[in-house]
Amino acid sequence: MSELTLLLLRFGFLGILWVFVFVIVFALRSDLFGPKARRLPQPAAYSAPVAPAQAPVAGPPPARREPTSSLDAKRLVIVSGSKEGLEIDLPAEQLTIGRSNESGLVIRDDYTSTHHARLLLWNDGWVIQDLDSTNGTFLDDARVIVPTHVPLNTPVKIGTTSFELRR
Amino acid sequence: MPNSASRTLGTPVEAGVRSPLTTSIRLKLRVPARLRNLELALVLLAIAINIAAISLVQLGAIGHLEFTAIGLDALLGVLIVALHVTLRVVAPDADPLILPIITLLNGLGIAMIYRLDLADKSYGWGSAGIRQILWTAIAVGIAIAVVIVVRNHRVLQRYRFVAMFVGIVLLLLPMLPIVGSAKNGARLWVDIGPFSFQPGELAKVALAIFFAGYLVTARDSLSMVGRRILGMRFPRARDLGPILVVFASSMLVLVFQHDLGVALLYFGLFLVMLYVATGRGSWVVLGLSMLVVGGAIASQVLSYVNGRFATWLNPFDPKIYDEQGGSYQLVQGLFGFANGGLLGTGLGRGRPDITPLANSDYIIAALGEELGLIGIFAILGLYLLFVSRGFRIAFAGQDDFGRLLGVGLSFAIALQVFVVVGGVTRVIPLTGLTTPFLAAGGSSLVANWIIAALLLRLSDTVRNQPRLIVEAAPDVGAGMVVR
Repeated sequence: MSELTLLLLRFGFLGILWVFVFVIVFALRSDLFGPKARRLPQPAAYSAPVAPAQAPVAGPPPARREPTSSLDAKRLVIVSGSKEGLEIDLPAEQLTIGRSNESGLVIRDDYTSTHHARLLLWNDGWVIQDLDSTNGTFLDDARVIVPTHVPLNTPVKIGTTSFELRR
Repeated sequence: MPNSASRTLGTPVEAGVRSPLTTSIRLKLRVPARLRNLELALVLLAIAINIAAISLVQLGAIGHLEFTAIGLDALLGVLIVALHVTLRVVAPDADPLILPIITLLNGLGIAMIYRLDLADKSYGWGSAGIRQILWTAIAVGIAIAVVIVVRNHRVLQRYRFVAMFVGIVLLLLPMLPIVGSAKNGARLWVDIGPFSFQPGELAKVALAIFFAGYLVTARDSLSMVGRRILGMRFPRARDLGPILVVFASSMLVLVFQHDLGVALLYFGLFLVMLYVATGRGSWVVLGLSMLVVGGAIASQVLSYVNGRFATWLNPFDPKIYDEQGGSYQLVQGLFGFANGGLLGTGLGRGRPDITPLANSDYIIAALGEELGLIGIFAILGLYLLFVSRGFRIAFAGQDDFGRLLGVGLSFAIALQVFVVVGGVTRVIPLTGLTTPFLAAGGSSLVANWIIAALLLRLSDTVRNQPRLIVEAAPDVGAGMVVR
């Protein structure tokens, strides 16, 4: 084995070691930078709801409903946005919401933060907690600042998507 | 009650009644293979690099290939692929990057230990390299068992007091008269027949489980109340109990087992988990000041701690260099790094065997000599990726116990790497911890593979939740996955 071959093998080995490191970094790139933001196509038929942070919904506040405990809520139903009408079962304890792929409810639009908010089951019902998102989380058009109880059938708005908890 | 939302928005969903549309969408569409295929590709690449490392060692040190070691390394690769297949069945959503990273780290360790065997003319089944391969095989087998048996990490929360008991027994085992034994001044080993192992390594896993289980229940009293001093909320005196107990037991380890590293590891682990559970910086301030005071007292009272400080501060002093237990080893390690330089001498071409204990405590110095700074940074990068995956899994976790356990287990690895590499490179005083996955030693391998298996299990639970992806694109149906 000549010295030159050994030298080349030596450099080749260091090279492949770093190739491995970079392949792994490449594999988790979406983790590091968040998934690619998509342009919102704006066809005429589709009127995107107004971004909450830019123009908070004005007008008379909607009539307060009876505060119904959400303890027996079983489903989360999307009531407005592109996936209107879809529903998922609520998990046992917690549902994370955000643009990140690890979220329980992944909402990919221009107004959603990577880790936007989470729903937690406390002793007396479901609670929504805003995780310091850029554009805010709105419970019945009021911005959520501290963890707030989510009554049944009350819209929670994140970006262009609203959902409600149902039995 | 009239459903106001469905009335105003005109959605097809009525409260209580499921429309045919939504029931048809609630299919379980699973795409588990994608993560596992990525893992398989990376694991195969890692195994190829491991075999290349062993071959380069042989070419560099003895000039020709010798197939026993290569064959054993390849067999180990088969076992790791078996772990991968197990994951496909029992944890299809587990993190795909953990297994490749630890496969490569473990393989680099085996190659370097084997290389030191060649330098010492130590061949056959008794040599450290072959033993390391066998121990890795056992550790991978145990990891497979852990992934299969622990189907849900929350089961571990139930056994938190069992874990505490096991942890304490494992810590005390080396102190027992017949089985316990001391090597290189530290009383850390247990000898049973021809086997010796270091129970403190396994205690690390047990204590992480106990700390996580305990802090989930106790964190409210530890985080809510207290007095505000200088802008920080300090805990009440009666809540100081747990931290004092852990501190006292770390000090006992320091005094009776003569092991600075393990004491530091346990106390640091508890401190970080306490901080993560309560979110209060005052615990860190308290813990670090206890550590500084304890370290200052220990360096005055305990002669071996004092010696560690002296060799750290003045390793090149001829008196300290020449004395028994002096800085000879540390300085030889530094000379090794210097000899390696940026690109290293090449595997099998340096003299890492001059450093005492080059295959366990000083394996980083040996790798630094033969792979150079570039290689060392690749290895540290792998550790960084491993620990960041662990934190990521913990961060995305659903339950508090799982999150704390994930943080604790990955931080244990991070702290261990920092303490060892920092000690060898003279950033901090040298302590006797093993380099995770790299250093020779069965108990350390088993413990670290168990940690990896638990993180894999945690990551599977994290991803395996009901999820709905709402894409911004208005075309209904495309890009929508209900899992």
